[in-house]
Amino acid sequence: MTDRIIAEQEVISAVEHLDAQALRRWIDQGWVLPHRDGENLLFDPSDVARVRLICELHYELRIEEDSLSVVLSLMDQLYEARRHLNALLSAVDAQPEHVRAGITARIKAKG
Amino acid sequence: MADPYEVLGISREATQEEIRKAYRRLAKDSHPDLHPGDKSAEARFKEIAAAYDILGDEKKRARFDRGEIDASGAERQQPEREFYRQHAEAGPGFKYERRWQGSGPEDEDELFTQIFGQRRAGARARGSDVGYTMAVEFTEAVNGAKKRVTMADGKTLDIAIPAGLQDGQILRLRGQGRPGLKGGESGDALVEVHVTPHPIFRRDGDNIRSVLPITPGEALAGATVQAPTVSGPVQLRVPKGSNTGSILRLRGKGVTSPHGQGDHLVELRVVLPAHPDEELVRSLTEWEAKHPYDPRKQGDRA
Repeated sequence: MTDRIIAEQEVISAVEHLDAQALRRWIDQGWVLPHRDGENLLFDPSDVARVRLICELHYELRIEEDSLSVVLSLMDQLYEARRHLNALLSAVDAQPEHVRAGITARIKAKG
Repeated sequence: MADPYEVLGISREATQEEIRKAYRRLAKDSHPDLHPGDKSAEARFKEIAAAYDILGDEKKRARFDRGEIDASGAERQQPEREFYRQHAEAGPGFKYERRWQGSGPEDEDELFTQIFGQRRAGARARGSDVGYTMAVEFTEAVNGAKKRVTMADGKTLDIAIPAGLQDGQILRLRGQGRPGLKGGESGDALVEVHVTPHPIFRRDGDNIRSVLPITPGEALAGATVQAPTVSGPVQLRVPKGSNTGSILRLRGKGVTSPHGQGDHLVELRVVLPAHPDEELVRSLTEWEAKHPYDPRKQGDRA
């Protein structure tokens, strides 16, 4: 599904509230990172989901663009931390039983 | 399907503005993309969105109030949507991850390298060094000084600036960095010092250079004038027949450094009055007519 490529015009018509100007502004701010192919901007599904989210936060939940940059930065950090945590958890999962038990015991003792 | 008024926590008499406000508040609290750790957020958010879909639209709200549509009436119109978090948590190398640091793509699990790298070093570990920069006045750098400085991170340091300090030099303050782990010694503070340029003095190794303006009369007849040095003003004897570019050496008035004691080299500059009067112009042109000389020719220059 990540292979699918979507053109700028398609994104604008697919996402509610979105207009070309706002999209360009968000791209300039680095909030959305489409692939550039000469003049054309090519979006993948994660770009579109992100644009849809930004639209929702801005037009429906009325978060101003100034505050949005903070929200997005915190959100990106949150997802990064969660990805690290998931990687750590799956590493723990792959350990033999006694190692996992040791880790669990230690977490409980600290908690 | 729950009653949309209950879902949004508002009364049946609420105004459209009150409905919008309630929706925004609840949606912020349960938007699944902003609460990825909250398993129930998505269900809650969908319920709120469905309720708002009916009540946020005055016509639909009226139809609902008259019993023409039920609470699930709107729900069917909601397409199955995907949330951003499905992408953000999909797998390694997600492109929006490091945007906030301004760094390039994926630094392979830098976090773990940090955690495990530190642990492997053993329980005791020396604290890391901390880098700072500070500005120092020209004369403080030449003569040395003691300063108490508050750094960018709020830490206050007592810094002894050694005499003869150079621009860009780094001072190491032992034990003033980050604390060590489990009894390990603290790191050091490394302070990079920038020397502010001086309006008069210039540093040339261990020597100080400056330019001293004098009048044509002082240059021709000689005079004793006051000259500034890094250790305060001194009386300087300008020899008779001095000229612009003549250099006078004040021994031992330069920089005291570990490799010795520099001098202060004063370059004289003959300066005419800013507004020469008739008399000066006349007497000089008359003198020049009688005693022609060409300062652009080697032999005629003093």
